[in-house]
Amino acid sequence: MTDLKKWITTASAALALSSLNGEMLDLEKDELKFGFIKLTDCAPIVIAKEKGFFEDEGLQVEVIAQPNWKQLLDNVINGELDGAHMLSGQPIAATIGFGTEAHIVTAYTLDLNGNGITVSNAIWEGMQENDPALDTDTPAHPITADSLKPIVEEKLEEGEKLQMGMVFPVSTHNYEIRYWLAAAGIHPGFYTSEDKKGFTNAQVELSVTPPPQMPATLESGNISGYCVGEPWNQQAVAKGIGVPVTTNYDIWKNNPEKVFGVNAKWAKENPNTHIAVVKALIRAGKWLDETDSDGVLINREEAVRILSQPNYVGADFDVIKNSMTGYFYFQKTDKREMPDFNVFFKYHSTYPWYSDGVWFLTQMRRWGQITEPKPAEWYDKVAKEVYLPEVYLEAAKHLLEEGHISEEDIPWDTDGYKPATDEFIDGILFDPKDPIGYLNSHTIGNKD
Amino acid sequence: MAESTKDKIKYRILKALDVSGFTAFDPVIRLFFGEEPQKQFAAIVKYLVIPAIFVLSCVWFWSWIGPRHKTKSGEVPTPDVVWESVQINDTIADREKVKQSDFQLKGAEREAALEAVAKEYAVLTEEVEAAKALVAEREAEKKAREEKLIAPLEEKYDALKSEYRDAAKARDAEIARISEAVSSGDEPASALIAAIREDGIASDKERDVLNGYKAQIDEIRSQKYKPLDLARKRYDSVADKQFFMKTRLEFLDDRNLYVKLDEAQAELNEYMAELSSAGSAKDALKIAKRAVRAEESVARLEGQEYASAVTIYHQTKRSIFTVFVGFFMAAFVAIPVGIMCGLNKIFMACMTPIISVFKPVSPVVWLLIFQIVVGAFFPDPENHVLLNFLNNLPLISSLEINPALIFSACTVAMCAVWPALVNTALGVASIDQDHVNVARVLRLGFWSRLFKIVIPSALPLVFAGLRISLGVGWMVLIAAEALSSSDGLGKFVWDEYQNGSSLTFANIIMVCFVVGIIGFFLDRMMIILQRFVSFDGRGTSV
Repeated sequence: MTDLKKWITTASAALALSSLNGEMLDLEKDELKFGFIKLTDCAPIVIAKEKGFFEDEGLQVEVIAQPNWKQLLDNVINGELDGAHMLSGQPIAATIGFGTEAHIVTAYTLDLNGNGITVSNAIWEGMQENDPALDTDTPAHPITADSLKPIVEEKLEEGEKLQMGMVFPVSTHNYEIRYWLAAAGIHPGFYTSEDKKGFTNAQVELSVTPPPQMPATLESGNISGYCVGEPWNQQAVAKGIGVPVTTNYDIWKNNPEKVFGVNAKWAKENPNTHIAVVKALIRAGKWLDETDSDGVLINREEAVRILSQPNYVGADFDVIKNSMTGYFYFQKTDKREMPDFNVFFKYHSTYPWYSDGVWFLTQMRRWGQITEPKPAEWYDKVAKEVYLPEVYLEAAKHLLEEGHISEEDIPWDTDGYKPATDEFIDGILFDPKDPIGYLNSHTIGNKD
Repeated sequence: MAESTKDKIKYRILKALDVSGFTAFDPVIRLFFGEEPQKQFAAIVKYLVIPAIFVLSCVWFWSWIGPRHKTKSGEVPTPDVVWESVQINDTIADREKVKQSDFQLKGAEREAALEAVAKEYAVLTEEVEAAKALVAEREAEKKAREEKLIAPLEEKYDALKSEYRDAAKARDAEIARISEAVSSGDEPASALIAAIREDGIASDKERDVLNGYKAQIDEIRSQKYKPLDLARKRYDSVADKQFFMKTRLEFLDDRNLYVKLDEAQAELNEYMAELSSAGSAKDALKIAKRAVRAEESVARLEGQEYASAVTIYHQTKRSIFTVFVGFFMAAFVAIPVGIMCGLNKIFMACMTPIISVFKPVSPVVWLLIFQIVVGAFFPDPENHVLLNFLNNLPLISSLEINPALIFSACTVAMCAVWPALVNTALGVASIDQDHVNVARVLRLGFWSRLFKIVIPSALPLVFAGLRISLGVGWMVLIAAEALSSSDGLGKFVWDEYQNGSSLTFANIIMVCFVVGIIGFFLDRMMIILQRFVSFDGRGTSV
């Protein structure tokens, strides 16, 4: 791996010398295919195509919808796709060999936040009974799983386990819903070397359902709640089949959500193309988060118009518009402002932070997807294999020269670790430099 | 003489109708040629008018029942909504074509188009503003109407809620009193149990009443206000058009191929000029390097094609192509193997277990198996010899053959192979004994017996098998495409399902008709082929 790093650094150093005048990069490949899943957070890729940012880099890009996360990953591995919109956990899991094994890297984080947890109407009524404070049109947030706990226990006494859904074993959604449940003392189950479903010792069983099927699966009663990205929480509200109780903003404020992943082999063979792609994505992210002097997001409506085309997300304009322009309906009567529901550029969010990788690794260890205890240095090592800030910074340097971004948009001198934070629903401190300490501070989950 | 030419034409047409299975139109032709008008009229009424009325009444029933059947996944689209979705898909395909031609427009034509579009854009912008204002107005109206209806209900709900709270408090106090009395032995324990039970029943009842009110309020909130819906629809359609015009402006301007080419060319010329007046060797080298790069970017732009979005027409073409690839693969295997099965009982006995076990396997399973197996043959699809060869052929190149198409085609082949195989075997095995005897008397060799006796007499059944195979293949293909995300009608319908927009349902029903109609024509095509090789004069069935 150090091999790849060295290669990229030398390649970019050579480039930095030759291209200081903002000339076009010497592309290895100019016709690319990118995959995405129909969710609003694929926006930077779609916008970079539709607004011509890819074309400005001399790239002709095709953007193709994929049926599910597994197929998307397979297509990136087998070379059918050059890159894709991926769950943050996917490159990490693939690299360490949980699920499909392949070395996937990322040089660009697509967005922060954007998910919600929805429960069925019956569960919501039960939660309201357990906690009368929830029994209003506008209950106070964050809503914890404390009021869900008695329901889970009652079910267990009847010899049943509450069933809930998430979208993929290494998805942010899986870790978020587990985090939310465990914070209230509900055990969501372990993965073990034999149990790849993660049901061992579970009080609530979490199964995989593709995002668009979530509302229908909830309605049919196979699951009583789920954690999914937009527009599938708002869809449940619109259809009146469920109530979103929390968003991932409350579970972990400004958590990393999706990344732009490519095959390490591809990255090695096409270093300049990779930089060109990241350049276009940075511009798209910036365009999406552009605000006027009052802080109103000015380009989001146009973005929604593009995303609602049937070959992209394809949901109704009005449904996508909610969360993308900074609103979220918790119930039909409870519309709230959530300006940071989707963050595409602010807070240096697009930088590929090593600390994001460390968090995902701690969750994989916490729930047993990583079966063996690992030392702290291993976490740092894996994060550095997956995240490529060099590529990002190289792209940013070009953009700065061309005047597309300003100096303060990019964290130029970071070591890749965000400062420790306790902005979680359970208030536990996460210091990315001390993953073992973080693991040990949770009551539920593996400890090392 | 003239009479007989006319008759000849008539009989030719009738024969064509017969072969293609459209015999219902016979009387129309006969009437046209003036044959027994009364009889023909009667036949037309019986076999054309009545069925047409029946179909129309089905459509009418559909449009009547649609809006009355409430589903949570969205309204059941009526025929006109489905037709609208056909038009929307057509518009999408059209717009892609326009964008493509804008991308490639040159010189004065481009400027003229740019001016025209700019004008249209300005007009549309005004319209969008007006439509937006109308939506806001309608929204306010809807809200006012709702408030009027909801206010009294809410008042009642609040009143009941506080009343019930008091009642619950009173009951709690009563229970507390009884429990005191029970503990001091003044009242029997059963009284306390009864009181608690009654309290449970009463609070359940109260909750039901309150929930009833809540449901009523929700119902009012979820009611549609038609003027608002219309205003929204109008706004959406103009805003969509405005957005399209904006994209066109971009494609006619900065993003136009020739604009970009001109820019690149100008840059190149500039470097060339600079190069001739370079001061030092170092400068010259630097400029020359840039010139080479500019030259490369000109060359790249010249080869650049517009990256079009996939339209339904493209997807339909690809599906039809895939089904034929799979079908021919199936026929290629099924016919020889079937003939061998029919000729040789031992071979048949060997094949029987394989046929019986694999025939019922679901296409989904085959797809997964082929995805794993076929995938291994294409480690690097971009540079694969076979794929590159196919993608450079004229006509086929536009279909963009990729491994996903090959998995889907293999899945089709795997599911379509069985009916053809079984029918061929049956056809060969049941050859008229007389024919076999004749062959024996003539001492024909194996090959001449095969080609002169066996195949000709088995042909009708072989074609019957192929006809079923094509039908099965077409049915399987849609599922295979959906799951392997290979462009085609299957992917289209799956993407629609994942879109979850208000158009989704209508588009899915549209695909139902598209797939059905194409399937119908494929089947008819096979019937015609079958009729050409079949000696019996039986008419075609449905």
